[in-house]
Amino acid sequence: MEDLLLARPGYFALLLHGLGITAKLFAVSWVAALVVASLLTAIRATSSKIAQGVIALFVEYHRNVPGLVQIFVWYFGVPQLLPRDWQRWINRNDGEFLMAAIALTLYAAAYMSEDLRSGLRSVSSGQSQAARSLGFTYTQTMRFILLPQALRNALPALVNQTLALFKATSLAMMIGVAELMHAVRQMENETYRTFEAFIVASICYLAISYLLIYAGSVASKRVAMSKR
Amino acid sequence: MKFRLALIPAFAVALSATAFSAHADQLADVKARGTLVCGTLTTTEPLGFQDPKTRQIVGFDVDMCEAIAAKLGVKLEHRGLSIEQRIPELASGRVDLVSAALGYTKERAEQVDFTAAHYQVPMRVLVRKADKLDSFAALAGKRVSAVKTSTPEIYARQVLTKSEVLTYQDGPAAFLAFMQDKVDGFVTSHTAGLRYLAETKGEGVYINDALAWEPSALGVKKGEPAMLGAVNKALEELEASGDIDKLWVKWYGPETRFAFAREKKLTPIATFAK
Repeated sequence: MEDLLLARPGYFALLLHGLGITAKLFAVSWVAALVVASLLTAIRATSSKIAQGVIALFVEYHRNVPGLVQIFVWYFGVPQLLPRDWQRWINRNDGEFLMAAIALTLYAAAYMSEDLRSGLRSVSSGQSQAARSLGFTYTQTMRFILLPQALRNALPALVNQTLALFKATSLAMMIGVAELMHAVRQMENETYRTFEAFIVASICYLAISYLLIYAGSVASKRVAMSKR
Repeated sequence: MKFRLALIPAFAVALSATAFSAHADQLADVKARGTLVCGTLTTTEPLGFQDPKTRQIVGFDVDMCEAIAAKLGVKLEHRGLSIEQRIPELASGRVDLVSAALGYTKERAEQVDFTAAHYQVPMRVLVRKADKLDSFAALAGKRVSAVKTSTPEIYARQVLTKSEVLTYQDGPAAFLAFMQDKVDGFVTSHTAGLRYLAETKGEGVYINDALAWEPSALGVKKGEPAMLGAVNKALEELEASGDIDKLWVKWYGPETRFAFAREKKLTPIATFAK
């Protein structure tokens, strides 16, 4: 028993540190993704064909290109297009985390916006007509009447996307973000105890995923409308 | 029924025979077989790589296999291995000897036995000339990249305690991060880093100090003292006759694009196993 992987000096702290970074990366990208997805959905619901086309392209890119490639594009590609000073600033200020967060945000936002769009379509058209006739502007109608209902309809699908985003944070390891998976690989590399290391990782991911599913079910009970 | 009973002793004999062969020592097996199965890498120039003309795997590690086989008085059966395969293939006995850029670490020594170290390579930090980072102290508070799972990563964490070590999946990614200014230095073994150094087109330079001298040795399956002893004896004879030096000059000498001298002689592995 004394030779358990996590009992080795420093490994528990390493794991906690990794968990902390995973949590931070997930929280930042999740909030940002929800905001971006709402904006995309609202814009796509307007009558502008150009806006609709641009957003459709955005969604297709993120649905069809692997997340890993997207992270590489953001980390190794995009900064190269920026002025030298900006690049230096990014590199000196946790560029890996920032770029991973941007890539994950857009990746998740593309999926979430599709879920919200179908949520929006399931809100009856009378809601929008009533709001407009009461004098709400388009933005107000969207913000106060339609999107909240769309959000409620889309909740189960959004919980799925939340889990997918949470698991996708492990991709950030590939560009050197010291998150959970990075910590686990480190233990594995130092001890060659692959099986144990991945069991530890599985337990961590499983525990947090269940926490998220639980939070999702609590949320959906809160916003549920009485059955008619 | 009679027939079945008659089979039992036959099974017993067969079982004890396999039990015996499992316990027979590997050196005796190699001698009886007349071949030494020796594994090398296949994509690492100049240690083990494919000769573009002959399509054969050649290199310093392959020549070492050849030399050891000759000393043992058997023929060489060459086996190409990937980095990840090296230790498992040896531990499972599918190869008798591994000659594959195998750097000594305490953790690896728990899985396989190392022979004496036949060469040592300094670990370097590649930096930009323009940054004027000419010592490890100058790297305090800076960021360096290394390949994940590599021994340079381990040495970087041990020595550059005041620097942040970022690890990437492979050499090209760690080097690209360096070239894109994402990190200030790239930690690599002297030899593996030479091609990256050339790639910087004069903008990069090694810091002169070595992070460590990594001992490289041959690997033998654990618990095979006869085999380990025989290979060590062969290495000593090859060192005494100057054959290891000759092979080194052939692959790393001044005539090659590596031009890297073999500074340290054969050293017992116990020297490093602290």
